[in-house]
Parts: sequence; structure tokens; C-alpha cells
Amino acid sequence: MILQNLSIKRKLTLITMLTSSIALILSSVSFLVYDLVSFRHLLSQDLMTQAQIIGYNSAGAMEFKDEPAASATLSALTAKEDIVTAALYKPDGKIFAHYSRGKAAVPTFLPSPLQIKGYRFEGGYLEVFQEVTLNGEHVGMLFLQSDMRQWNMRAKRYANILLIFVLISGLFALFVSSKLQGLISKPILHLEDTMRMVSSNKNYAVRAVKKYSDEIGRLIDGFNTMLSEIQQRDTVLQSTNGELKTRTQELEEEVFQRKQAQEELSKAKHAAEEANRAKSTFLANMSHELRTPLNAIIGYSEMLEEETRESGKIENVQDLKKIQAAGKHLLALINDVLDLSKIEAGKMGLHLETFDVPQVIEEMVTTLQPAAAKNANSIHVRVAENVSTMKADITKVRQILFNLLSNACKFTDHGTISVDVDQIKVAESDWIQFQVRDTGIGISARQKENLFHEFAQADSSIARKYGGTGLGLAITHRFVQLMKGQIGVESEPGKGAVFTVQLPTHIVPEPIEPAPPEEASEAPAKPSETKTNLDTILVIDDDSSVRDLMSRFLTKLDFRVVAAANGEEGIRLAKEIRPLLITLDVVMPECDGWTVLNRLKSDTELAKIPVIMVTIMDNEARGMDLGASNYLIKPVERDRLAVLVEKHRVARSPSIKDADSVPLSYVGEGQAGRKTAETRVSRTRRN
Amino acid sequence: MLRRLGILIVVLGMTFNWTPTADAQAGDAPDSSEYLIKAGFIYNFAKFVEWPSAAFSQPDSPIVIGVLGTDPFGNVLDRLVQDKKIGQRGFVVRRYKWGKDLKDMKDLRDCKILFISASEKAHTDEIIQIVKWLPILTVGETPGFAERGGVIRFTLEDNRVRFEVNVDAAHQADLNISSRLLTLAKIIPQAAAGRNPG
Repeated sequence: MILQNLSIKRKLTLITMLTSSIALILSSVSFLVYDLVSFRHLLSQDLMTQAQIIGYNSAGAMEFKDEPAASATLSALTAKEDIVTAALYKPDGKIFAHYSRGKAAVPTFLPSPLQIKGYRFEGGYLEVFQEVTLNGEHVGMLFLQSDMRQWNMRAKRYANILLIFVLISGLFALFVSSKLQGLISKPILHLEDTMRMVSSNKNYAVRAVKKYSDEIGRLIDGFNTMLSEIQQRDTVLQSTNGELKTRTQELEEEVFQRKQAQEELSKAKHAAEEANRAKSTFLANMSHELRTPLNAIIGYSEMLEEETRESGKIENVQDLKKIQAAGKHLLALINDVLDLSKIEAGKMGLHLETFDVPQVIEEMVTTLQPAAAKNANSIHVRVAENVSTMKADITKVRQILFNLLSNACKFTDHGTISVDVDQIKVAESDWIQFQVRDTGIGISARQKENLFHEFAQADSSIARKYGGTGLGLAITHRFVQLMKGQIGVESEPGKGAVFTVQLPTHIVPEPIEPAPPEEASEAPAKPSETKTNLDTILVIDDDSSVRDLMSRFLTKLDFRVVAAANGEEGIRLAKEIRPLLITLDVVMPECDGWTVLNRLKSDTELAKIPVIMVTIMDNEARGMDLGASNYLIKPVERDRLAVLVEKHRVARSPSIKDADSVPLSYVGEGQAGRKTAETRVSRTRRN
Repeated sequence: MLRRLGILIVVLGMTFNWTPTADAQAGDAPDSSEYLIKAGFIYNFAKFVEWPSAAFSQPDSPIVIGVLGTDPFGNVLDRLVQDKKIGQRGFVVRRYKWGKDLKDMKDLRDCKILFISASEKAHTDEIIQIVKWLPILTVGETPGFAERGGVIRFTLEDNRVRFEVNVDAAHQADLNISSRLLTLAKIIPQAAAGRNPG
């Protein structure tokens, strides 16, 4: 264990020394052993020769029993220091003569292994048995015992020499190996030093010095290569770090700038939203503020016209009609602008319902007959037999047809306007195709480009000559797009024009825009309470001129009119007098029309009273949702109002109440949506 | 008495070759014990002496031991050597008488070891003169035997049988005596008596 932890220097020295010492000791010992063995053999041979001589010389003495002579012969061995004892034995084994050095004991009888002739080593002694013969006759046995003095001495001497030799050569090996181990250990130690330097100082510029081209040299080469690699990477890393820091700072700055920009953007957005809200408010106010006086102008001028005609002042009627026409034109303009802004704001929704197409066409033609007659035009209608109903926004379909037809009438003089309605199939789906053809002035190719754009009439001079806002076709185009249809025009200047509109027979409703609930119109059909004043109509409007006009008009129709100037008062009066029906304005201070409608409909007693919305706000869907029976937009066409109130009176009349409980809205309306149709038709346009 | 008993013990204990003989002679006269040993010595001498090859007619010709004069061995010597062999050679014991026997050189020619009994003391010189040029190992026991030209003479020393050797005489007889034997013997130089024939 300790050995393994020695330094490489020590290990190398130790290994060299151990190896050389082991080799030395092994070879020396083997040489020693060989020498000692052969020396022993030599000794034994020597002793045997001696024994032969002594035996030969003793034969006579043995033969003549001359013991003194035998002893004398043996005494010659005194010169031989190593011979301890010598003895002659008679053939019967008894001792004949002996010699001994010092006090060594001589065996009285021949030692037992008589059969061994030659020598043996026993108890550290070399023993020789020599037969004594005389002319081939056995006369006795000679026994010699040597303590191998020479051999022992030689062995001792050799051991000493070996010890000294090993020590000296070991020292020499130590010296040589400690000099030579540097060949291997020095580069390794140097490498280790370098490594320590690198790891402690993190200095990758240091290099180990290569001295020899052996494995260690290659190791050092590899180490240096690795170091330079690390150094390179370190440099790259540091520069990358620097770049990263710079980049981070840049990014931080950028983030800061972006934050500022975001704040500015946010401010701008707020400002824009503010501006938009201001615009919306402005538009709403505008429409309200503009329409309110217009209501008064148109309403009073109509009243005046009637009264003037009754009083016989015919010359003033014409002037009053001009006032009316100018008011209505202004109203149309305002409506168009509002419609367009609504469309652009994406607030224009679809109110889908199923209606009878031929009937709508007929209505439209009837409506426009006066306009056609004005320029001495005749209208021809052709509706294909397979055309029946379609599901679409009837208001918008009407407006599209109205716009096309009124345009045709406007730009044609003493000509023919023909309307063709067909059901066609395009790509597996059904379409209704409307074509309006005229024989008017036509449209040039250049004019066609901007035909469906806002405020782009064929020529600015046209506006002066024909009037109009230039918004009609743009709105038409937007409505067609809204209903996923197409509109196109074919025309040449002077040869009339053909406008073609294709609409899907069944428009798939968009989920966000719920269709107006039908049951709303059921409300007025409910049997009235006994307390109900069937001849009383409650008018709720903050505009005193509207209240005045309404009460004057309804009074003419034999109704008693109660007016309320605000919502709270209206609700209180409704509870008090239980009128036949209520006309309700929306835009009122404090409690607006929606709130009033909501409260009326949530009151179980008042819920049955039909409510006709009479307002500037064009949000029929909301009114219907809240439970209004009808929705009229100011200025109210008085004929429409008259028809409606009359219908309600008939429906709620006690005499027919039991017989006819069918909701009024449905009477004569197998074709849905007449009520709205009637409402919207009142918005005659002259563009 | 004690001396003889000691010799007997020595003979009985140390020379198994002679054991049967020794047992048989245990009850005999004390002299016979001495000659028992001397007989063994004579046999042993044969082992350490080399005769010239011409001395034998055959490779397996026996070694003839001659006893001249009164035989002190009895049948001890005969019994001792009767089954013994050195190399291919066996032993034959012959007895000679001073007079006609010795005059016949033919008889002595086969003899290799000649024991000259003490009874022939008077003729010692003459006998030596006759055989001294022959390859015969002469063994005697009379004092001055070796000095006079005999090769080996038995002596008694501290009741032990020992022997003297006249090396010159051995050379004269063309005999080669092993040094191993000589180390055990008392070497006697050739005296004037030896050189003086008589």
C-alpha cells in the first residue's frame, strides 16, 4: 500500500534496485550452491581416495592382526585437520583400530548402513566407508568421518563475499538508478509542475517543455495541444463574454427604448380611443342634433302644407313642398353618412329573416313609381316563376333595390327601366339575381373604376345636375358584400346601364348577430286589461316639438294623447292611465328609452302594453330584443304611424278581442317582415 | 600358562579363517597354538609375495609349501591351506628331510615356501647356500636365521608372534615382497654370515 503511494522517483529507483538485486542474488546463490555442491563432491572424492590409500595400507596390518601398525597408519591422518575420526573394523564388525581428533567418540561397532559403500552426509559430517581387501579378499572395513571444515569455511567465506558483493552492487545500482530514473521521472514531474501551475493560476499560456521523443514526450505534446486548445477557447469565451455583456447592455437599452415606445404607443392608443370615442359621440350627437331640428322642419312643413291647402292658399303649398323636399334630402344625406360610418366601424349587422321576394319587388316599384314618372320613365318588372322567398336582411335588400332603381330613374329621361329577378344556381348553391336595366346616359369605363367608391359620382357636374350625395352605390356595394353577394355593372356612355346584384337565397346567419325575436311583436296582441284606456296613447319624448306634432297628429285620428317629457314620468303615467299603446323616444336625458322599455316590459301589468319606438337611433334589433312592438325612425312618416296605431286599436278592441287573438304582426304577413319594410320605406331617398 | 591362553584368545578372536583349526587344536599342546599362528602367517606371506612368473610351470600350478626337518605344525598347516586359493593357485604341503632330499634339486624346484624347522639348526647355512639362488621364500625360527641369508624369521615379542625380513635375501631369490608386509616386519640387513657361505 505504502509502496504504491511512493513518488515515481522512489518507485523507479526501487524497481531498478529490486530487479538488479534479485537477479544478482539469484545468480550468485545459484553459483554458490553449484560451487558448494561440487566442492562437497570434490571433498567426498578426496576423502574416498584417502580412504582407499589408508585401506590399502591397512590391509597388511589387518591381515597380520597387527593393531599397532594399523593405529600407526591411521595416525598419519593427523595432518588432515578435517578428519575427526577414523576406524578399522574387522569383517565381523568389531573395531580393530581407531584414530580420533580431540575427544571425538569412535563407534565401537561399524555404523549400521554397512551396505553403503562410498560416502554419506550425516549430521554435518561427511562419512566414508571403504572396504579393505587383500587380493580381492575382504579383510575389513575402514570408516572415516570428516567435519567438512574446509567446506564450511568455504561456505562462510562465500556467504560473506556474497553479502559484500550484493551490498556493493546494490549501492552501485542505487547510484545508477537514482541517476537514470531522472530520464523518466523528470519529464513527468515537470509535467506535473506545469499542470499544477495551470490549475492553480488558471494561466493557460504555460507550456510543458519536451525533452525526449518517447511516450512521455508525446504525453507532453498532447498536454500542450490540449492547453493551447483550452487557451484558445478561453480567449474566445472571454471575447464572447465581452460581446455578450455589450449585447446585453444593448438589449437592455433596446428594452428600455421599447418600453418607452410602448408607453408612447399606449398613450397614443388611449388618445386614439379617446378620439374615436369623441368621434362616435360627435356622430351620435350630430345625428341627434341634426335630425331633431329636421324633424321639426319636415313635420311642421307637412302640417303647414295640409292646413294651407285646407285654407285654400294654394300659392304657398308649393313653397312648403320645397321646404319639405330640402329637409328630406338633408335627412337622406345624414342617414347615408351615418350608414357609411357605421359600416366602416363594422357596427352594421344583419337582421336575417325570410321574406317573399316578388312582394318586396312590387312594393319597391310602387314606392318608386312617382320618381319614375317625374322623368317620364316607365318601369317593367319581370319576376321568374321559381323565385319565391329568400332569407336575408330585408331592410338592406330593399335599400339596395331602392338605390339601384332610384339611380336608374334619376339618370334616365323618357326611357324604360326594367327589373329582372331570377333564381340561379352557382356552384351548387342558390342565388337570387336582381338586374336593373335603364336606357339612360350610361357610364364610361373610367367612371366605372370609382363607381362603388364613396363620394365618387361620375362627374362633379353630375352632382349639380342630378343631385345626390354620391354615397348610394357605395352603400349598396357594402351591403351586398355584407350579405356575401356580388354586384356588377355593364354600361357604355349614352347606351344605358345594367346593374346586376346576386345574393345567396339563404344567408347563413353569423352567430354574433341574433335575429330579431319574433315574439316581441306578440306583445300588443295580448288581451288587454279591463282598465286599459283603449283610446289613449302615451307619447314619451323629451323634444317638445315631437310631443306637439305627435299629439296634434294622433288627435286627428281620434286618440286621446297624454305626453310625458321624460322616462320617469312616462312610466308613472303608463301605470296610471294604462294606454292602448306607447310611443317611446330613445335619446332622452337621465332615463333613456332603453331603460324605460326595459322597465315597462319587466312590469307584469305594463308588459302587455305595446310600445312603438319612435327615435333617431337606428338600432331596431335592440328595440325588438327589449320587447318593442314596432320601430319607427324619425322623422316619422305619418301614414305609417296611422296604419300602425289603427291596427293596434283594432286588435285591442274588446268587440273583436275574443274572436281574433292572432298577433297583429302576423295578420296578412305570411311574408315576414312587413312591419319593418313599411317602416323603412318611409325613408325615401332622393340621391 | 597365562601367556598361552592370551595367544589362544587372540587367535580365536581375530582369525576366523583359522577358527575351525583353532577349535580343533584347543585341547592340544601349547606349542601347537603358537604354530597355529605361524601356519596362518605362512599362508599370509604368500599373499604379499610375488614369485617370478617362470617359477610356475602353469598359471594354476599350486604353491608348494615345504617343511624341512621335524614338523612342528602337525596337520595344522595342511588343514589350513587345503581349501585356500590365491588367484587360481591352491596349496600343497610337502615334507623334506636333510640328506638325500635336499641334494636332489629337482624336488626343491617346485617348492615356493620352505619352512626350515629348528631341528635343522646345524645345517642352516648349507641349506641357505643350496636354495639362495632359487625363487624360494625361506622361513626359519632359529636366531640369526635372517642375518645368515634366510628371508623371514619368526620371533616372539611380548608373547606376540612377529617376524624379521632380510630384503637382500628376498632380492637374491628374485622375490618381490609387498611393502605392506615390510611395514609390519623388522628389516634385517644382510650380515657377513650371509655372505660367508657356510
